[in-house]
Amino acid sequence: MSVSTSTRHSRLPDSDRIFAFAMIAATGLLLVTFVLVPLWAILKNSFVTPDGIGLDNFVRYFTDSRFVTIVGNTFEVGISVTLTTMVLAYGFAYAIQRTCMPLRNVLRIVALLPIFSPSLVQALGLQFLLGRNGLVNRTFGTEIDIYGFWGIYIADVVYAFPHAFLILSTALAVADARLYESAESLGAGAWRIFRTVTLPGTRYGLASAGFVVFTIVITDFGNPVVIGGNYSVLAVEIYNQVSGQANFAMGAVIGVLLLLPAALAMIGEKWISRRHFASVTAQSVPLAPQPNRARDTAWLIYSLLVAAVILSLVAIVIYASFVRLWPYNLSFSLRHYEFDVQNGLQPLWTSIQVAILTAVISMIFVTGAAYANHAFPMRASRVLYFLAILPAAVPGMVLGLGYILAFNTPGQPIYWMYDTILIIAFCNVYHYHAQGFLLATTNIKQISSTFDEASATLGATKLKTVWRVTLPIIWPTVLAVGVFFFMRAMVTLSAVIFLISPSTQLAAVSVLYLDDRGALNQAAAFAVCIMATVVAFLVLAQIALRVAGIRGVSLVR
Amino acid sequence: MDGRGSLRAMLGNIARPMAGMFLGTALVLSLSGVSQAGKITVYTSYEEDELAAFLDAMKNDVPDIDVDVLRLSTGDLRARMLAEASNPKHDVIWGWAATSMVDPRIVEMLEPYSPAGIDKVPERFRDKDGYWFATTGYMGAFCVNNPEMEKDNLAMPSSWQDLIKPEYEGKLVMPNPASSGTGYLHIASILQMMGEEEGWAYLDALDKNMDQYIKSGSKPCNAASAGENTIGISFALRAIKNIDEGYPITMVIPSEGAGHELEANALMKTSQNMEDAKKFLDWTVSKGAEAEYNKWKSIVTMQGREMPEKFTEAGLPDDISTVLFEVDYAWAAENRDRIIAEWQKRYEN
Repeated sequence: MSVSTSTRHSRLPDSDRIFAFAMIAATGLLLVTFVLVPLWAILKNSFVTPDGIGLDNFVRYFTDSRFVTIVGNTFEVGISVTLTTMVLAYGFAYAIQRTCMPLRNVLRIVALLPIFSPSLVQALGLQFLLGRNGLVNRTFGTEIDIYGFWGIYIADVVYAFPHAFLILSTALAVADARLYESAESLGAGAWRIFRTVTLPGTRYGLASAGFVVFTIVITDFGNPVVIGGNYSVLAVEIYNQVSGQANFAMGAVIGVLLLLPAALAMIGEKWISRRHFASVTAQSVPLAPQPNRARDTAWLIYSLLVAAVILSLVAIVIYASFVRLWPYNLSFSLRHYEFDVQNGLQPLWTSIQVAILTAVISMIFVTGAAYANHAFPMRASRVLYFLAILPAAVPGMVLGLGYILAFNTPGQPIYWMYDTILIIAFCNVYHYHAQGFLLATTNIKQISSTFDEASATLGATKLKTVWRVTLPIIWPTVLAVGVFFFMRAMVTLSAVIFLISPSTQLAAVSVLYLDDRGALNQAAAFAVCIMATVVAFLVLAQIALRVAGIRGVSLVR
Repeated sequence: MDGRGSLRAMLGNIARPMAGMFLGTALVLSLSGVSQAGKITVYTSYEEDELAAFLDAMKNDVPDIDVDVLRLSTGDLRARMLAEASNPKHDVIWGWAATSMVDPRIVEMLEPYSPAGIDKVPERFRDKDGYWFATTGYMGAFCVNNPEMEKDNLAMPSSWQDLIKPEYEGKLVMPNPASSGTGYLHIASILQMMGEEEGWAYLDALDKNMDQYIKSGSKPCNAASAGENTIGISFALRAIKNIDEGYPITMVIPSEGAGHELEANALMKTSQNMEDAKKFLDWTVSKGAEAEYNKWKSIVTMQGREMPEKFTEAGLPDDISTVLFEVDYAWAAENRDRIIAEWQKRYEN
């Protein structure tokens, strides 16, 4: 089934070789420009000490006794949230892709709801729901104390869930029915089939999702700040150093530490890819789930339970935006929708422009990088892979400041785009590059290279193969990547806060400052506007697909 | 007119404004990097609502300057300005924490300027070399949630000393000084007020009652307002605004004196439009600006102010100098690293 890379490589004609290099070079150059250059600009601060260049900052940090506690906390949260999220999201994605339960399309959207709003809104929702004075405690007279580990744990599981779901759902979307048929004819039970066919078939997706969840949990600072109480994690330490004490050097030291998981993942990927067999080949028969009443009902109940948890957090934020004064006066009011922030709703329109631009750039360059990395297995593409997933380990604050240091210099090649929405869009694309890249790669890996083989033996060049064979198969993935970046761009905060200018204000920043000044209900109302915009946009795009005569393609896989 | 003609007319009607829009956008983009006469960029940490009011007044008083404003929180703005130091984007810093302004890396970027009418601002609110001056400020206060107090049958605290009474155990919340400049200011003023030895002993006792050191400086009063905690160590203005918003809280100014922060203004030496930047700074000490400050700020440094009703109703005295503790900013800035390290050693292990 799989073709060893060396034979395939040697068969590449010259024109393909050039195409391969051009593609790797183009996507690689952009990654170097928008990830490596800004990262180096800030991380080199970690070596700057009052006595010159050296490792003193690292020594100082590692010998601090707080350090052990904080690293321990970071791993405790990272590992527990990753395990929980993977199990929950795998089940949910399985139910959507491999069963015939009803409401699948609605549940898909619900699974994504947590990324429709800035992460601080989930923490706000959690506080409304489970805080000391929250709905649960007041209704049932309980004394649940959510601040600390459990607060971060719950908020991060909800926050990471959609990211894991997107990748796992893509991994589970395609499968070869022949494998399942032969397993059944050999008399394998459902559990055995799951263990020997389904799980190994989605191994790459599982590894990708695990990496994405772990890194976004250890780099997220929005949830720990709001609901973490006295429980300290590394991402908050960066915030302490940079924003609290203007100490770039120590912030950079912690930034370097957070890059380690990306390096580990690169080693892991090589191991998993080596053992990977494409699950769909030119000869394969797509797996179509057959109705099974008992199974479908069981999965529906499970999915509804998960959806209920997610929905309750969103619903309480929407509810709070319509009451006079949460939690003291719950009468209906529309007053929070009269936004008294500077420029009113204007930032929302800027955000939409930025999001569209982000989506377009990502569809070309992120899927381009994923395709190049997969289709041309040469040494250069290993470097490409590392660069492509590196941003997952970079906290937004580090990236945003890096952009200023690297690009805010007249005469610098891309200085012309500074202060425009273009730099914000590029920052978004490369901030979330790992997630988009792994989403696309997972999908491409499910589709066999035998397509390329077939068309290559027919004498078509790589370029023609891409255009005639690969693109028609993977364009739904390209679209899904675009949608993912659109959603992220609408709500992201931590990096872009350093790149906005007076004329490029963003909606998520408005939410942050409303929350900051204690206008909780108004912050909730603005967040509801963002959520409504994203949902409206998804619905419109889906209608546009219908009108264009394309059926059966979901914007969200 | 036949169908085709009207269609063409319609397309023309759509196309022309669109072409205009594109040209306009291109023009704006091409000009955005160039400084324009009458246009300045201002960085500020004033809050959205007060900022909007100040800007309205400014546009009224000085209509010929076009001001672009970017608002970020104090810490984020400092990080951004330090990162932008090689090519600053702004002409003026307005309403930004004086404790951050005194950072030598910031002062280095400033041009001394004394606006017309600066004499109204007492000297202690100005930099001695003229790099910055403060027109407004905010002062420390406790936000106390009334329903929560009633529920636990607690007496209203009136001083810092009250806060260490055992009955408030687990009821307090304050900003973490490592992540929040306002949090640090509380700690620094306590240490100055009581002296270091007694100050740390007091903080030890306070720590016993503390539920959490919240990471964001603006959160403690909000947490107390929403009933998530009972007493939030915060700032007067936040309390006043939240009372105005309708939250059932009481503002308490500690009887030993309240620490405070000044919001300072300064001119950037890299400004491409000094003339208008100076005009703007002149306005910040003008009568018109003062009138607006008076409506919004707990501390206005210009002499002879009249306190708005909503402030006095919340419990602010007419003459706030009676309740202010005079913070030594230079000392606070110089000892920052040492104090935060000591604080983390004591309370974060």
